[in-house]
Amino acid sequence: MSPGITVQCDQPTIRSAVQQYLDEGRLHPPVPLTLEIEVGEVPPVPPDSAPPFHQPQLVFYPGTRPGSLTIVWETAPAQARLENGSGRARVILSPAAADRLPECQTGFLMMTVVFLLRRFGWHHVHGATAVDRRGRGWLMAGNSQVGKSTTTAFLASRGWPVGTDDIAFLVPSAGRVAVHAFRSRIGLRPGGLELLAVSGGVFQPRRGKTVFWPEELGGTWVERIEPEVLLFPVIGGDRTTVTPLAPRDTLAQLVRWSAWVILEPQLAQEHLDLLAALGRQAPGYRLELGRDLFSNPQLIDELIP
Amino acid sequence: MSASARYRPHPDLRLTALEGEGVVLHLGTRRYFTVSETGLAILEALGTPRSLDEIVATLQERYHVTPEHARSSALAFLDRCLSAQLVTREEAPD
Repeated sequence: MSPGITVQCDQPTIRSAVQQYLDEGRLHPPVPLTLEIEVGEVPPVPPDSAPPFHQPQLVFYPGTRPGSLTIVWETAPAQARLENGSGRARVILSPAAADRLPECQTGFLMMTVVFLLRRFGWHHVHGATAVDRRGRGWLMAGNSQVGKSTTTAFLASRGWPVGTDDIAFLVPSAGRVAVHAFRSRIGLRPGGLELLAVSGGVFQPRRGKTVFWPEELGGTWVERIEPEVLLFPVIGGDRTTVTPLAPRDTLAQLVRWSAWVILEPQLAQEHLDLLAALGRQAPGYRLELGRDLFSNPQLIDELIP
Repeated sequence: MSASARYRPHPDLRLTALEGEGVVLHLGTRRYFTVSETGLAILEALGTPRSLDEIVATLQERYHVTPEHARSSALAFLDRCLSAQLVTREEAPD
């Protein structure tokens, strides 16, 4: 089976490591994608770029040619250039960036893939995916501090199919919106490990997390869901509560958790309309995660009517 | 402000609707806003630049409201949109 994303690099260790990382994600993009990676001096950003938008450690320079984009990693010099309609990204890593490859993969190369995919209608959302006992797809959107990973690990430990704890792609699918997961290990901080009372996994010192495949927690992996439930989790107190959201508040939440990717001007409207379609497809709820969920795990099966 | 001043969406505005209400995103300021049904009707009407009188007429066609109510609602909404740079206002040439 084609990996879907091919890595080209004349340095075998880099090619092999990045290819393995992307293969583990098990994404099947609509067109073959290629990362052409070379290690060398990172050139200046093209002078004709439009005003950039910034994210921690990343700067995005939309080009004046429609759909062109230069992505700069600031942790160590690295740059990716994308062109409209092309499934190829030309990536230049400085030797310093190449020396920090694991960080570069998750912090920079994954973002390059995110922006390649949106050129072919796959739009990123910070979200976790799962399938509940009634067969309904759940999308839980939010940033990394709201308990998505702990909840995803919890659902896996209850035997639910789960897709991802963070990297999800919205994809139009026969009049509906599907969500494809990038398969990666679910990362738990010490507090999450304690709540779930799980052991094992692999400790990653750089992230301060212990990571697990869904199967190691008792779950299975699901590549694709069609959301019927949208959840926006927040960390709560003792009690777990679920509050229905008005449609426009659901849409605002979806925008919020896509907000920086959506800012690329050329594709913003398409992305926004896909979020609205998702909001029409599935009701949204604010999920306040309480400690009772972990002391009374079957509560999760009754949370969403 | 002259009565013939025309309102138009800011070029950085993107708008989408859900069940009669909407969310607008400003790509330049990177802020997003929810808008009510009336606000959505006004922003959608600005697909063609319009004067306040034309916007009021659009609201009256759509809702059973007095001209005064439509005007005050439209003005309040447009003022907020101007502050958030969601729309621009161009004075008509003399």
